Amino acid sequence: MIQGIFYARFFPQQGTKIVAQSPPGCIVPVHGVDKPCLFDFNVLQEYIIPRKAFCNRYITINDPEGKYSVLGFPVSIPNPRYDRNEFIFNFGVVVDNDIDQVPYERVVRRLAVTFAEMEKQSGYLSQDHDRHPPVDEQQERGGRVIGSYRRRPIESLLEIIKEDLNNYGECMIPVDDANTINMKLFPHHPTPPEVKGWHVPVAKMKFADVVDPTWDLTMQRVIAHIDGVSDVRRIAYAADVSLELTQLALRHLLYYDTILLLDIFFFGACYAPRPGIHDFIANVGGMVDECAHYVCVGAASHGAPPLDQGTGTSAGGSVGAGEGPGSSGSNSMDPNGGAGGHRVSNYMLTKLMTTFCVGKTVMEWLKGHMDAGFDVLRFVDVRRLVQFGVIKGCLYRVHKYVVSKQYLAQLATGQAVPMAGGDPLQKYMDGCHSFDQIITEQNLADAEIMNKLKSFPSSGVGDITVIYR
Amino acid sequence: MALPVLPSPSNFLGVALVINRSRDGPRFVFHYPQLVPAQGLSGARPECGKDADDDDDLLLARPSRLDGFEASAPSVLHPDNLAQWNHDDHLVTESGTQIVPWEHVAGFPTKDLENILTPARAYHKRLFQVSLDPLYCVSYPIYVPENGVWRKKKRQQRKDAGAAARRDDEGVAPGDADPASRSGERGVSEADQFEGRDSAKGTPKTPDEAEDKKSSMTMFNLVFFLNPRKHEVKDLVDVMFVHIIKKINKAYKYCQQRSDFVWKESKKILALKDKGREDKRNMSALWEDILQNSSLAQSMQDIYEAVSQNKIAALQLETIEGMVTHSVQIPVPFHISDLPQDLEGDECGLWMTTANSLISDEAVEEPSYLDKNFGLLLLADEKKISAELQGDPDDATVSMIEFVRHCKPTLSFYQVGQQSSNVLTPAQVRKYAQHFIYWRRAIAIPPLHARDMYIVNPNCDMRKLPQATARWARQFPLLPALPNFLAELSVAPRPYKLHCPSKAHRPVYMAMLAWLMRGGWVTQLCTFAYVVVWPEVIYEVEYALEAEDIARSKRSQTDANIPPSPPAGAAALGDVAVAGFGISSSFLSLTTDDEPSDLASSVTTLRDLSLSHSHSLAPRQSPDPDLSPPSPRRTLSDPPSHTTPHTNPSLAMTPVAASQQPTAAEQAAEKARLERIADKAARELAERATAHARKAVPEQTAHPSVNAAKHLVGMSPHIILDAKKATGKESLYLSAIEKRLRGRSAAVASSAAAKMPRDRNVSNNSINSNRGGAPVGAGKQGRDAHASAKDDGRVADAWGKFSKYFNGQSALERIALQEDMKRKDVWNLLTAMSEYLLCVRHW
Repeated sequence: MIQGIFYARFFPQQGTKIVAQSPPGCIVPVHGVDKPCLFDFNVLQEYIIPRKAFCNRYITINDPEGKYSVLGFPVSIPNPRYDRNEFIFNFGVVVDNDIDQVPYERVVRRLAVTFAEMEKQSGYLSQDHDRHPPVDEQQERGGRVIGSYRRRPIESLLEIIKEDLNNYGECMIPVDDANTINMKLFPHHPTPPEVKGWHVPVAKMKFADVVDPTWDLTMQRVIAHIDGVSDVRRIAYAADVSLELTQLALRHLLYYDTILLLDIFFFGACYAPRPGIHDFIANVGGMVDECAHYVCVGAASHGAPPLDQGTGTSAGGSVGAGEGPGSSGSNSMDPNGGAGGHRVSNYMLTKLMTTFCVGKTVMEWLKGHMDAGFDVLRFVDVRRLVQFGVIKGCLYRVHKYVVSKQYLAQLATGQAVPMAGGDPLQKYMDGCHSFDQIITEQNLADAEIMNKLKSFPSSGVGDITVIYR
Repeated sequence: MALPVLPSPSNFLGVALVINRSRDGPRFVFHYPQLVPAQGLSGARPECGKDADDDDDLLLARPSRLDGFEASAPSVLHPDNLAQWNHDDHLVTESGTQIVPWEHVAGFPTKDLENILTPARAYHKRLFQVSLDPLYCVSYPIYVPENGVWRKKKRQQRKDAGAAARRDDEGVAPGDADPASRSGERGVSEADQFEGRDSAKGTPKTPDEAEDKKSSMTMFNLVFFLNPRKHEVKDLVDVMFVHIIKKINKAYKYCQQRSDFVWKESKKILALKDKGREDKRNMSALWEDILQNSSLAQSMQDIYEAVSQNKIAALQLETIEGMVTHSVQIPVPFHISDLPQDLEGDECGLWMTTANSLISDEAVEEPSYLDKNFGLLLLADEKKISAELQGDPDDATVSMIEFVRHCKPTLSFYQVGQQSSNVLTPAQVRKYAQHFIYWRRAIAIPPLHARDMYIVNPNCDMRKLPQATARWARQFPLLPALPNFLAELSVAPRPYKLHCPSKAHRPVYMAMLAWLMRGGWVTQLCTFAYVVVWPEVIYEVEYALEAEDIARSKRSQTDANIPPSPPAGAAALGDVAVAGFGISSSFLSLTTDDEPSDLASSVTTLRDLSLSHSHSLAPRQSPDPDLSPPSPRRTLSDPPSHTTPHTNPSLAMTPVAASQQPTAAEQAAEKARLERIADKAARELAERATAHARKAVPEQTAHPSVNAAKHLVGMSPHIILDAKKATGKESLYLSAIEKRLRGRSAAVASSAAAKMPRDRNVSNNSINSNRGGAPVGAGKQGRDAHASAKDDGRVADAWGKFSKYFNGQSALERIALQEDMKRKDVWNLLTAMSEYLLCVRHW
């Protein structure tokens, strides 16, 4: 919210004066307005029109109370035609101290640039002064309006800017016949992290619905291959776009928070719970139901109530019995093995989610549940379950790293030299490169890498260890 | 606790001292480091690059690039010359103007900076923040008191050297400090330090106010030059202001008030600079000189060097009254509770635990909880810390050294207090621990234990692995190398002691564990549990409730002339029960339309039952003997047809009807109506009773988790999220489970002995199978099964005691500490309960 907006000028005789302000009386008192000013102008004026060294740059200052910030861009235009060869002015805005000030920086810059240019070209501001004296002089003359206006007074211009930016976040204001001020408040996003070749982008929105032919061509090709399964390298390959460009395009999407980056799903990978899993167990915000819709095989299409109570369908008891006495959770399932979707019970989903564990691969996890009598694969899309867990912060991927002690020792002493023609895997052995990276960059499968490592030439026995983290 | 935005050499560019004098105006006294680089105008840094201000910049900003120099040196200096300038030598322009290297700071002439950085008195002791694109100048200006005299009256203070006097000097008063950063006693000890040095020096000469006025420094301002990233401005400024800027300026103020320190030092520095200007000394030489001669300049160096590396800055100010020392820092969390978004960001390498974040609010207020759950892990060698303490002795030094000696990472604070044979009070232990933690000499951790499981911290900083491996090898030369040990820990979670080859190795392995904890390489894998209510238990409770309800309705029908009032005790329970039933499943459609009072009474009855009635394991033929009201009446299974004729006459005789004396016709109509209603109610009740009687009678099996009986099909197990706060039906479930645990007597044990191991493997949530290679294996099961009734009693008792930990937030590993029990016993008890627990494990 812009609390106030003003136009200040330096006058050789009178010093710094507020020429126009909106709302009236926000910076300096005017006749007929009782509201107190936002701050003491006298304290801040040396920052509104500062010394010459600080002109022509964006300057902000907080008021002593810590309530407001004054954002300004004092402009000094040297030219012999002015008194003292210089014209100094500042268009500033006053905003609350605790809001994000970044979007307003551009507004202030744009005002300064536009009016400075108009002044340089046609003396817009300096002419204006002759008709439009500073506020206190106006008061002395009883607010009498002098001269004839062919264009909007600056005061009303400021008011429109303030109102439009506050209400619509943008404004488009014709200043005179030739000039228009276009401004918009843009939020500032931090720079997104880098996109790596082994990341798997997942769309947070339906790109197909928003994309149009004016989009960047590379982007259009890339988004067509974002399916939540393919890794970046694969997308680049499928889209016939270079990896670097693909990464750039995806980073762009990341900047606007329209994709998520996950890891590559393998059945041999390991996932483990994070504290966020408690939200899942407590079904916060219907998370488990959301999960059921996402992961249950064929469940989404059927609006059917979650598992009929099993009394009618005769198959119920028999399948349950067939699963043996060990089926700890299966009796809660709709055991009807017929066609159509099944809604796995919330308890079972919770159970599935909580049984991930450090040191247990998805495969082992799956086997555990199969042995317990629950045919996971028939009811649940495991990949989706895992991804759901990762996205919701219930699970994290336990990555696999390979470490060569010898190489570490070389790194510690700074003797590590890239071995030309040496083993291409060595550079991955410092513990900073997960297997996902090796897999995508070397185009090898996990088992192939392990085999290569076993025959790693330079090392003795036991030099290489595998750390899960 | 998220990591704050921290200063670093890239966003913290320098410090500068500016003063103002009444007659001579502002002076820029000193800045450090000697070269504060001019920041390129916005757009220069890559992250700003995408801001589309470029066109705006082109129009205005570029030409202003050399404005600063033009102002001070009007004659044109070749930009090339300037670009090559090393900021050390003096330059002389063609017109003879001397450009002095220290007169340009961050691209601005100091002449201009000193003006803009001496704000009006309105900013006295407030945040002053001015940004000069992109440089942020942040400070906390200190003005001379209105009377124009810095010096405080000393005599007053001498007299009451107590707290009141200290409170006067805001620079160090404990009450004034920010409560968050104040670490209990530290505020006091700071004051002590100031006070102590002070008194050591004896009374100074009576302050000469005239001289004070002559010095006429009206304000000083230690300005911090920051260059934060765009979205971090507010955070960085806040953090620096609260923890550093405010405190240092206050310390300076203290010294200025005592001994005119800032002014005297400033005079010294300014004199040196003026001389240097004349002699055209190199800036580096001059700066060296100044730093050696002025403790004020020295302290600015210390501040910059420490704070920009996010270390503790220790100020040492040599006032004429003695050394004043003061330490400042930005407190940083030593742990986080979840994986950070950016795995390679600032938070990488921090130890992860939920031990701090998941404790409930009421526990925090109770200090003994923390005492039992946490121990202290010193971050440096014990001897080194002792030496540090001795190097700066005060009253607390002896007991602090004692504390350090007793602190072991394997002991909780509570145990430390006990082991020190009560030399240290719990309050002292807490206080010292807080002190060490605040000043980064230690961290609080759940005490290490060989039975606990430790995994590689998912947030550990692998980039440090090479160095850490080398250090580890020096520290533990005869033991497995760090990568091997981490690999061993990471491959599958096991109790730590299984990694230890023999008992003799235990101490050194615990030392290794402490080492790994310190570096954030490992974290404890904890188990969190919820109570699972199996369908069998749900059914049993529902069945009993329904039976009770029907019995009640019948009684009220027959005793209709007695108004149906719930038992006195039930009234109070009513609300609770209803709340509980609100979330109940749709198991019994019949009970849902009941009045609250009915429910309430049934709850009480059931409670009573569960408490008083000793449970028989044989399946009950009918719940009636238990549940029917005390009055000798028909049992529920009676044919319903009999009920109607009995009830009718009594209903007609209600006192209300008689007293009103309506006409005969009305009476007849009313009577018929009432009869119809009663009829209907009776029929419904009868139907319910029949339906109830047809239902399968609940049967208790040894392992409800695997009970696949027909009547349970389709029921889903229920998870109780917080057993401590369970109400209504959930509390009934809990007591039903307790009853079962108690009742698991010989009859079951014998039959289960054979069955149990097989079942255990199957039920995934059993702690045993979760514990991987935990030693409590199948062999123990057998013992469990044969356990005597006494053992069952223990389990049931423990169920009541432990259930408060079954909330998914309290790590089961810490129950032993909390309850002061043996770990082994706790695990055995938990194992016995495991069928009713849903466990999940993370850090």
